[in-house]
Amino acid sequence: MTQTGAIGWTGWLEATAAATAMRQSLWLYPIVEILHIIGFVILVGSAAMFDLRLLGLSRQLPVTGMERHLLPWARASLLLIVPTGGLMFIAHAAEFAGNPAFRLKLFLLGLAGLNAAVFHLRPFRQVAGWDHGASAPLPARLAACLSLALWTGVIACGRLLAYF
Amino acid sequence: MRTVAAIGLLLLAASVAPARAHHGWSGYDATKELTLTGTIAEAGYEHPHGHVRLDVPGKVWLVVLAPPTRMESRGLPAAKLRVGTKATVVGYPHRSNAEEMRAERITIDGATVELR
Repeated sequence: MTQTGAIGWTGWLEATAAATAMRQSLWLYPIVEILHIIGFVILVGSAAMFDLRLLGLSRQLPVTGMERHLLPWARASLLLIVPTGGLMFIAHAAEFAGNPAFRLKLFLLGLAGLNAAVFHLRPFRQVAGWDHGASAPLPARLAACLSLALWTGVIACGRLLAYF
Repeated sequence: MRTVAAIGLLLLAASVAPARAHHGWSGYDATKELTLTGTIAEAGYEHPHGHVRLDVPGKVWLVVLAPPTRMESRGLPAAKLRVGTKATVVGYPHRSNAEEMRAERITIDGATVELR
């Protein structure tokens, strides 16, 4: 991509009415930030509680029961997180697009999503064998560790992008 | 391990990235307090931080201010940051961007507003 092209799409986003409102309206930006935080607290909180169960805590609780309770909340939280994240991005698109912490955050976010997908397509298919009272198999525990580390990284990058 | 690697990557990425807008105070050198008086050449009352371009003799500084909500509540509404107005700022220079400083306080028309 050429430099002009890069300025082009981010500049176009920054010129939208929504982006202008984000920068200039007195309370919109903080409100959007708060909604973004509420959203990812639910998402990462759900993921972390599920991961801890996979790692062997509260074994008396069925894994499938936890999944049925937590996954819908995690999915619903995306309705808060994605639009608010998008609004904050377009307000300063050029700055964010070139921000190393922001780029790393998106990369880790992709890995976290991939990790969750692989978990559901592989170890979770055999959950009947370790639903409660038993240790989860190694691939499931590895996915849990990876999930905890990746989400920690995503949150760290999200906070640190204001410092780079 | 993954977190350590992620932090390592982040530091590496940061070390090769060009200077951009930095929002934390840590990017500014608090040991070098500056007092600048000049004319506002450009003003932005925008999130996450407002700014002015301050034309002082020999240099135009990008002065990073506070979030608009804070400036509004402390008596510095957008109308006071007019282009052409004289302003004095006290603050700290950016560690890597020689044109940028972050203001601790700003004085316009004799009224000083704390920005931190």
